[in-house]
Amino acid sequence: MITPIKALRKNRFKTALIFISMSVSIAAIFLISAISGGVVSMYSSMLKTDGDIIVTQKGIADTFFSDINRSAADEIAAINGVREVSALILGAAPVDPLPIVGIYGASKNRFKSYALKQGLYPSSGEVMLGSKIYETLKHPKTISLSKKEFRVSGVFKSRIGFEDGGVVMGLEDAGAVFHKSASIFLLALNDLGKSDAIVAQINKTYPQMEAKTTDGFIDSYNQFKIIKTSSDVIGAMAFLMGILGIVSMMSMVVNDRRAEFGIMRSIGLSSRVIIFKLLGETLIIALLAFAVAYGVSEAVLELIKHADKFQGYINGEITAALAIKVFVVSVVMALFGTLLPAVYAARVDPMSLIQRGGA
Amino acid sequence: MKIEATGLEHFYGHEKVLDGVDLTIDSGSFTAIIGESGSGKTTLLSILSTLLQPTKGITRYDGKRLSELGNIDRFRRHNIGFVFQFHYLISYLTLRENIALGAIDESRIESLLHSLGIAKLSHRYSDEVSGGERQRAAIARALVNAPSVVFADEPTGNLDSKNALGVYKLFREFSHQGTGFVVASHDKKIADYADVIIEMEDGIVKQIHQ
Ligand SMILES: Nc1ncnc2c1ncn2[C@@H]1O[C@H](COP(=O)(O)OP(=O)(O)OP(=O)(O)O)[C@@H](O)[C@H]1O
Ligand SMILES: [Mg+2]
Repeated sequence: MITPIKALRKNRFKTALIFISMSVSIAAIFLISAISGGVVSMYSSMLKTDGDIIVTQKGIADTFFSDINRSAADEIAAINGVREVSALILGAAPVDPLPIVGIYGASKNRFKSYALKQGLYPSSGEVMLGSKIYETLKHPKTISLSKKEFRVSGVFKSRIGFEDGGVVMGLEDAGAVFHKSASIFLLALNDLGKSDAIVAQINKTYPQMEAKTTDGFIDSYNQFKIIKTSSDVIGAMAFLMGILGIVSMMSMVVNDRRAEFGIMRSIGLSSRVIIFKLLGETLIIALLAFAVAYGVSEAVLELIKHADKFQGYINGEITAALAIKVFVVSVVMALFGTLLPAVYAARVDPMSLIQRGGA
Repeated sequence: MKIEATGLEHFYGHEKVLDGVDLTIDSGSFTAIIGESGSGKTTLLSILSTLLQPTKGITRYDGKRLSELGNIDRFRRHNIGFVFQFHYLISYLTLRENIALGAIDESRIESLLHSLGIAKLSHRYSDEVSGGERQRAAIARALVNAPSVVFADEPTGNLDSKNALGVYKLFREFSHQGTGFVVASHDKKIADYADVIIEMEDGIVKQIHQ
């Protein structure tokens, strides 16, 4: 155990370079996965609040474009097994001085899902603000939205970043701003066992609408797939860059240490011993790099969470599952990156020690 | 271990550098290979020590051909030691750790450190001792597994004459205890210490002095 550390210390400049390149790659993988996971999980927990089933316009790619008739909500609420139906308008608009803010129009029965911190739920001509945006805008009395003034009736606290950085208003007011009746319905059920039957019934009765269980919706939602795929691609690129960094640095290390491997071969140590020796050395670096990348990522995520600029929209969490995944990725990165240079090291011909003029 | 070479020829590309070498090396003797630069000493030593395959000819180790020795790493580890012109000590290990690196068991290390006069320096790193001391550590590394034969190519090439004579004396002492030494050298003085002197010229054995 002590020997590889001595070897790393002896080659400390290159060790440091390998360590930095691994740390950067691992941190990149951590951050991109945590942030994309955070976006998906924030949006899905928003939909899942009292939403066992979600109803949208049929064939729509993004809930922002969805437009359905809010009058259907009462009829759907009458279906056996449905406890409550809330209608939502999901929109985004500039709120001076912020260039873009999430705006949520909600039917009255939905208001209870927002925990009021101060004031009252909004009536017509009023809005309530998430605590984050309330701070960002420095406790405004009114806000202006699409050239209209709205009085701030209250402030709510939500752990979902999108909501905490957003504006909630009545469905009618939001309908006037965004020129639509409703974006989606969220259905809370009495009995989850009936969800498939209810989905089928809605889809049959309203051909222009599409009902899905919220879990099914999240699994098939295109926007989430795009976010996940791009984060996977960026993660894979970071992984490859990490491997390339290790391969090139380790090749230089092996070249510097040719005499060492030649002498090991000449005294009869097997190729395997040399390969494991080098793998062991990079594994040590990988473990350190993982620990540092983990710490740095947590710190960056914490900074992002509290950065006014992002209004809480960007919010990532390193779950245990993600940490384990990235740990495995780090180990694999170290092993893959070292294998080729190590095999090369194990093939150093002891003859080169005899023939070569110098150490 | 008895090493027999018959009809050794070696080419580097089209250039023939060994041209029919036959010789026998007995265990427990100190054999010096001398000759002009380019006469083929290093090439012959590399072939005898299993590092190089001859283009033609056969080497036998106690009657066994190279292909019959089994795992060559293992064979080398148990039977052969090397000393090079440069010490090739690993700089991040102490002298003792360098010697222990290839040791099958470490029981001989202390006595070797003593008989080579580097016991007090064993915890030092190679850049903290003199050139002669480094080469003695390299000799200890070669001897740690009690090999039958130690091969050395210009082992005194980087030493002053006083240290060089010290190395020859060590070889003679250890050969009297049963380890064979095969040493290629320019240095004519080695003749005063060796039991057998093989004189090379242009790829052939010119003379063998017993
Ligand atoms: N790897 C090689 N490729 C091509 N030619 C080589 C190689 N090694 C040695 N030679 C040639 O083979 C001949 C014998 O070389 P060798 O190294 O065996 O001589 P030597 O007696 O050890 O010389 P020196 O005393 O200078 O070390 C020389 O002419 C040399 O140029
Ligand atoms: Mg030579």
